[in-house]
Amino acid sequence: MAKDKVVVDFRFRDKLNKVSGGEHHNYCYQCSACVAVCPAARFAENFNPRTILLKALLGMEEALIGKDSPIWLCTNCYSCYERCPQDVRPIEVIISLKNMAVEKGTAPPNVTKLSENIGKTGVSVMVTPAVNRMRQELGLPELKSMPLDELKKILEEDSTAEQE
Amino acid sequence: MKVIPFWGCMMPLKYPQIELAIRNTLPRLGIELVEVDGFTCCPDPIYFKARDKMKWLTIAARNLAVAEEAGHDVITMCSGCISTLKEAQYLLAENKGLMEDINKRLKKVNREYHGTVNIEHAMVMIRDKIGLDVVKKSVKKSLEKVRVGIHYGCHILKPSQIMHVDDADYPNLLEDFIRAAGATPVAQKEELLCCGKGCMDDEMPLDMTEAIFTAIEASGADCMGLICPTCFSSFDLGQLIIARKRGKNFNIPVIYLFQLLGLAQGLSVEEVGLHKHRIKADKVLEKIV
Repeated sequence: MAKDKVVVDFRFRDKLNKVSGGEHHNYCYQCSACVAVCPAARFAENFNPRTILLKALLGMEEALIGKDSPIWLCTNCYSCYERCPQDVRPIEVIISLKNMAVEKGTAPPNVTKLSENIGKTGVSVMVTPAVNRMRQELGLPELKSMPLDELKKILEEDSTAEQE
Repeated sequence: MKVIPFWGCMMPLKYPQIELAIRNTLPRLGIELVEVDGFTCCPDPIYFKARDKMKWLTIAARNLAVAEEAGHDVITMCSGCISTLKEAQYLLAENKGLMEDINKRLKKVNREYHGTVNIEHAMVMIRDKIGLDVVKKSVKKSLEKVRVGIHYGCHILKPSQIMHVDDADYPNLLEDFIRAAGATPVAQKEELLCCGKGCMDDEMPLDMTEAIFTAIEASGADCMGLICPTCFSSFDLGQLIIARKRGKNFNIPVIYLFQLLGLAQGLSVEEVGLHKHRIKADKVLEKIV
């Protein structure tokens, strides 16, 4: 190993820098403070936020946003963000990597499925007849209608609003 | 005091019994809920944000703009909603260019976000603007014998540089509220552990839930008290899944803390929606005098 050269893929790092919050990966000095507070690191052998940041610094695309990436084990608890002395916001870097994985088509199918609901219905949970019945039984007001036309317009991609 | 409720999705669409408890307890603290049209999902800080951060921020900013137009402080009852909305506020305040980009998108629907709306979790708003003495005065029944195991949930506290709610390592928010409601908070060694719901794995969230309930059981608490509907789903239904999959029966009732307050205010089990929980709260009710 000692003779092997370390090759950094700066093209991948540049791409990460362009996803909002991804640019903070540059600040990581590998201190491991995030690992000590990470519940996913405590409960899963193959999840380690410091290692994820190291791989980001080396630009290891396949390991980070390939099919078997461990990034999806992150519990989104924000403990690393709280603890990091360098303002890396590791969870935000991980979410930026998730955005890249979605674009690459390697994200778990339930990520895209669950999030599609919001664009279509305005809510993240399915409205079922059962919940409407339960609301009625509890004497709660009817659910408000969602401003779907507004939602559609602000989510449309166009050249004037899109900066990325 | 008039406030705008931002109900989100989990509470009205999955756990309306908790919405009922909010609607029945807040007026007893002198809070008037002013309903506003036009809110959507916050959107959720786990799945939707994982898909596309810019779209996540755009929808959040639209909700903030709607709230701002309405002209009162806003409360959420969900730690996920407050996480999204406060982080969106933070990011837009931190980065002027981002604010301009987002407002360009909002302009298409004649909206604009200015960064002036005040938004908090209901429990924080009550602590800071109503006062826990008002909570105490609303209490009619003694819950002193009810021992409530604390579960904070992550997003109400962290990151503290955005949330500004409490010390993220040594918080008092829930303990103080439980005491004001007249019940007895019980520390447990996993009270700051994540519920695991945001982790996209089948087993790990159950491992975490099991660790938390093992600690609550050891603490001798009668129930768990929390303030996040996502954590609630991990724990109420989660205990049944653990019983089925792993043969471990904790059977510890999980109570959203405004339901607990409702009981202290003299409301019935049905008025605070506890009858709709999977794990029944009988052993808690027995201790109320």
